[in-house]
Amino acid sequence: MMKQRSYGSFWMWGVFLLIMVVVLPLSVKSYQINLVTEMIIFGLFAVSYNLLLGYAGLLSFGHAMFFGTGAYATAVGLIHIPGLPFFGAVLIGTAASTVVGLALGALLLRHKGSYFALLTLAFNALFFAIATKWHSVTGGDDGLSLDRPDINLGFAQLNMSDINTFYYVTLVVIGSIILYCWYFNRTAMGQTVLLMRENEERMKFLGYNASITRLILFTFTAALAGLAGSFYALFFEFTSLSAISVDMTTIVVLMTFIGGTGSFIGPVLGAAVYIYLQDFLSDITDRWPLVMGIIFILMVLYAPGGLSGIITSLKEAWSKRFRKKGDIGMEGQER
Amino acid sequence: MGEIPVFFLHGLVYAGLLFLVSSGLTLVFGMMNVLNFAHASFYMLGAYFSYSLLRVTDNLWLSLLICPLLLFLLGALIERYLLRRVHVYGHLHELLLTFGLAYIIAELVKLTWGNYPLGVNLTGFLAGTVNLFGLTYPVYRLFMFACAILISLIMAAILYKTRIGIIVRAAVDDNEMVNSLGINVPRVFMGVFAFGAALSGFAGVIAGPLLSTFPGMATEILIDAFVVIVIGGFGSLGGALIASFMIGELQAFGTLLFPDLSMALIYMLMALVLIIKPSGLFGEEL
Repeated sequence: MMKQRSYGSFWMWGVFLLIMVVVLPLSVKSYQINLVTEMIIFGLFAVSYNLLLGYAGLLSFGHAMFFGTGAYATAVGLIHIPGLPFFGAVLIGTAASTVVGLALGALLLRHKGSYFALLTLAFNALFFAIATKWHSVTGGDDGLSLDRPDINLGFAQLNMSDINTFYYVTLVVIGSIILYCWYFNRTAMGQTVLLMRENEERMKFLGYNASITRLILFTFTAALAGLAGSFYALFFEFTSLSAISVDMTTIVVLMTFIGGTGSFIGPVLGAAVYIYLQDFLSDITDRWPLVMGIIFILMVLYAPGGLSGIITSLKEAWSKRFRKKGDIGMEGQER
Repeated sequence: MGEIPVFFLHGLVYAGLLFLVSSGLTLVFGMMNVLNFAHASFYMLGAYFSYSLLRVTDNLWLSLLICPLLLFLLGALIERYLLRRVHVYGHLHELLLTFGLAYIIAELVKLTWGNYPLGVNLTGFLAGTVNLFGLTYPVYRLFMFACAILISLIMAAILYKTRIGIIVRAAVDDNEMVNSLGINVPRVFMGVFAFGAALSGFAGVIAGPLLSTFPGMATEILIDAFVVIVIGGFGSLGGALIASFMIGELQAFGTLLFPDLSMALIYMLMALVLIIKPSGLFGEEL
């Protein structure tokens, strides 16, 4: 009975959110549309990061490698291949980060825990060094500017220099990928990942191959981060070193953790809050990252579940006031 | 080819710095399995504290004494009031906490001292050069190297000759056993953490006048220290010593021979070690 109720509210919220994001361009200025587009792109980046951290328990400090690879591959593709279509550029970015993810996964996943965290950070620094030094391809400190190509659907031409059009394309593409990630956790593969996090020994005894599972997941998240990076490049029509720097990794760690690693929607929430706060705080002070850092540390110390954890406990406290004690036990089982 | 000995000495100097930073990192990791991302931030703070102190007193010896003490206190406070608090949540949280601390310290440094490089001018005999087997070499670099050697020797003496050193080494080996023998391991760990912070800060103080003091210096040496740990093996001091030497020399000769590739050489060495011997040269099999 209760299950039905929670699903009902789930759909209600889903439909509400959908209507909100679809009619948004009609009601707000293009400045806000820019912000929301950025939120969606970083939402995917954070979701891909949480698939590693929250679902597989792998703490990586090098996720910007894939984001940056996607961004650079897209930019390089658009600059050097004349007439490359929009989705061709996205595909190049995603493919490049997938390949990089597979190769690095094979090398780095031999280690776990702190060692893995350290190695990913070191490799992120390596990628940053390559992007800095390989001036002829990446443009070094100058970065790469690109033009967002229009999309030709056959029957219609989408003018991508219009931010509203780009917003809708981002919403449809990235939004459906995020939905797929949500669905992914319900697939056999997704369940295997959860099993691996909970009890790797048992998983092995059941006949699953943990290293292959981890490699597939790692490559998958690399591909998603590359896709986000590709849209990032197309959104700003510019790719710079910041896309591949350790700072970008820090951003995704902060987003994911502030939003909460325990739930699927947490990182999306975290990305939205981060982008909004960044926009809001950077008007007030130059040192806004300090505020982000303090929020992050406070979360680590006092609210390890992140924002979504806080919301869940608020909801529980709320329902406690209205329901008898027996019901709460059931709610606990649902999760 | 008068350059080769000079660059060899440059390499030794950097190796000394690296060892000061990575030895604390590797000890802390060996004891509590906590990889401290904020470790290099203590190095940076050492350099900045020393910069401010030198502006007031102009006495490097004083700042060599005071800055490590300040960082010892800071390290102890961070361990006692922040790190220990998240210990119950597991390793992921400890990593995230130190990562966040490194981020905050970098931002605080930018807020306090500005986001640009600061230079320290040396005075007295340290600013001069010395004639060494027919080579003219800056005194200060030799001084840095001597400091690194001295501190390493003191550390080795503490670790291998004193009771507290024996406890620390035993705790690195098996901290549960040491704990059940009635030794307050959390307190020992706090001491080691703070000592590591002080060592790192000391390295920062002596690095300040040579390398410029800027907000990115923490990340730079952190990555190098990580590479040292990967190559030398986790928790191994001997490994850290040899790997520091390798990285220092590789960096120096890389700059001399392949200026464009010097950064990549270090990573190549790391990747090679990872492929051939994932546990590092002197690490235990994982």
